[in-house]
Amino acid sequence: MARKDDILKSFLTHELLENKYEFKKEELPTTVRESLNSDKPIIKAIALIVEGLDGTSPVTDSVLRNQVTQFLNEAL
Amino acid sequence: MIIRKIQIDNYLCYYDTNTFELSEGLNIILGENGEGKTKFFESVDWLFNGENRELDMLVSAKKLNETEIGDSFRVRVSMTVEQYGEKSIITKSFLAKKEKANECSTSSFMIEGISENSSGERTQVDGQALLDRIFPFQIRKYSMFKGEAELNIFESDSALANLINLFSEAKHYDKYSEKGAFLREKAEKAVEDSSKLDRKNEALYKKLEGDIIYLEREKAKYLVHLNSTEEEIRKIEGNLQLAESHVSNADALETLNKRIKDIEERISYLTGRIDENYTTSLFDENWILVNFESFHKEFAEKVSAHSKTRRELQSQFDEQKGIIKGEKKAKAELLNNAIPLPNNIPSKAIMEEMLNDEICKVCNREAKKGSDAYEFMMKRLKTYLESQVTEDNKPDKDEPLFKYDYTNRLDNLSISHEDNLKNLRLIRTKIKELFEFNDDRKKDIEELNEQLEKEKTEREKILGNSSIGAEKLSDVLKNYNAWQRDLKNRNQDQVDYTTKLKSLESELKAKKEEKDKIDTSSANSFLIKTRNILRDIETIFIDTKEKKFDEFIEKLQTKSNNFFKTINIDAFTGTIVFTRRNKVNRTIVEVELQEDGRTFYKPNQSLLTSMHISILFAISELASEIKEENFPMIFDAPTSSFGENKTAQFLNLIFETENQKILLIKDFLHTDKATKTLSIKKEFENVRRDKAFWVKLERPFDPNNLKTINSQVITL
Repeated sequence: MARKDDILKSFLTHELLENKYEFKKEELPTTVRESLNSDKPIIKAIALIVEGLDGTSPVTDSVLRNQVTQFLNEAL
Repeated sequence: MIIRKIQIDNYLCYYDTNTFELSEGLNIILGENGEGKTKFFESVDWLFNGENRELDMLVSAKKLNETEIGDSFRVRVSMTVEQYGEKSIITKSFLAKKEKANECSTSSFMIEGISENSSGERTQVDGQALLDRIFPFQIRKYSMFKGEAELNIFESDSALANLINLFSEAKHYDKYSEKGAFLREKAEKAVEDSSKLDRKNEALYKKLEGDIIYLEREKAKYLVHLNSTEEEIRKIEGNLQLAESHVSNADALETLNKRIKDIEERISYLTGRIDENYTTSLFDENWILVNFESFHKEFAEKVSAHSKTRRELQSQFDEQKGIIKGEKKAKAELLNNAIPLPNNIPSKAIMEEMLNDEICKVCNREAKKGSDAYEFMMKRLKTYLESQVTEDNKPDKDEPLFKYDYTNRLDNLSISHEDNLKNLRLIRTKIKELFEFNDDRKKDIEELNEQLEKEKTEREKILGNSSIGAEKLSDVLKNYNAWQRDLKNRNQDQVDYTTKLKSLESELKAKKEEKDKIDTSSANSFLIKTRNILRDIETIFIDTKEKKFDEFIEKLQTKSNNFFKTINIDAFTGTIVFTRRNKVNRTIVEVELQEDGRTFYKPNQSLLTSMHISILFAISELASEIKEENFPMIFDAPTSSFGENKTAQFLNLIFETENQKILLIKDFLHTDKATKTLSIKKEFENVRRDKAFWVKLERPFDPNNLKTINSQVITL
């Protein structure tokens, strides 16, 4: 498993997602690729950040910010 | 990676060519002080890290002496290693040319690398690159240790950062917490900008922002105070424990310290109870009335007389006016034409109570229902009730005798003062009691202080029964009490700072919630939702990073303790505890030895050494797990404080561990006093090892003449 998937998985096991967002563990994606297609904004936002920082082509701060906030502003 | 061979040519005491054919597991190199152990270690260190200067200082004096002026020879340290079935040779060398007797010039050093594949083909490669590839610099840092002092790698703050970078997954998470904060801050800013567009909240919003900034600063300030106080506490506790270690009767000392602490706490409690702020009582608003009683008495008498006169006049007036009701009542009900009491005496409530109880509580006689006495009381109550009915509607053409009933008010005033007299009398008593209470507490404190002095004298006696010299002891004693006082004060500071921090945090939380409320009503909802999600993401990133960090530390701790227990089998060890401390801008890890959760500040050197070695072994094991490879470790005199038995035990233990280890020790050698002959003790036969060497100077030699010095390598 790629490192970015390991990192993503460790974020998705955080209790906040279960307690506050009421996501069930078994419903959560396990790879960055799957997460980028998630219909849950917080999951996709995390995946965007992981892909931006540990993906094949890392992005600058401003690009990362644009990607994440633009996605969230539109999705919410 | 295994070091197969180390060859040293003309390097200081290693004259000509000297070869150490090393084995995979435990290699022990024995040697007396000054006979070549440390020079072996230094030569390997030079191969790894040596700089290109003062190379003439590394030349073998014996070799230089034997060389003709104008001739050259090579000084060389070479290492043959094996990794993944391939052999590599790394050689660092320079040329020394004899210019005069005892003087030489040197070339710059060169590092050569040779790679040999499994079929024996050799290729020349860049020596430095080869070294860094097979034995990375960061790993080498944790592989070579000279003496016991160097074993404590955690003395430097950067040690942990290095370890994390080398072995822990936590390093991958650093950038996430940074970016999480960055994204959250930008989202907060977007919400703030949007909120500020709403003019009606502008002033409040700005004030809240100011408050939040101020509170954040205060919080940071108190965190710094708290951190430094906690550091001071640890330092003082360490000093105290160090002082206590000189004391033979440690148990008694501990009991005394506990008793002293109890007494001090009781004194502090009692001192807190003493309230000598008598001024408050003296300036009590009623204080001026403490002498009021006599005035009141005079006033009450006058009011009573006045009231009586009024009633007399009223009675006469009623009589004259022919008000039959009043006249009849007065005459029929009271003997000897006596003047009736005011209607409100006894009060309505009292009358009702007496009727209810069927007792006249004025003359203390029964007044059963139907009896005259009962009827009398009933009539009186009725009269009172009638007197309370406003008679505005009644057609009364006659002017009353008294237009205003000031007498009644005076009566009431007098009664209320009478009631208040009790409180006024109490002021004196209260102050008196306060004085008495304070005096009693002071006496208690005095007694406790005497007791405290006694306990402290007892403690000094115990401290005096010490294992150190009188002069040093007086220093310890002088400082001991001061440290105890400091500790008490710092503990109080710690409590105060923690309380202050808690209150700042809750204030901050409230302000932030207030600001969020304004945001919710003013800013765009999608901006708020984005911000909230980014807040959660930041929390997830920070928590995950800390979790990974803690997992690593816990792993290191477990591994270290496993080694620690084995090295000190059947002996006291305590537990190695790694504690993460968050400083203002960084996280550091402190390592300490604990016994039942209490810091063990002054372990002896041998215990300390075994603790450090255990940590190093744990790190080495982690390196093996993570890099999927073993790296050698080289220790020069790591167990000087152990003593031969413990050293033997230690060597037998590390024989079991996986890594290749090269240990340079001076144990197991014996010098015959008569003949000065050096030999290896029989006990060494029982020490388990894979290979052993003995480095010893060729005899005879003159310790003051380097030209006679030549370390021989004997494979045992």
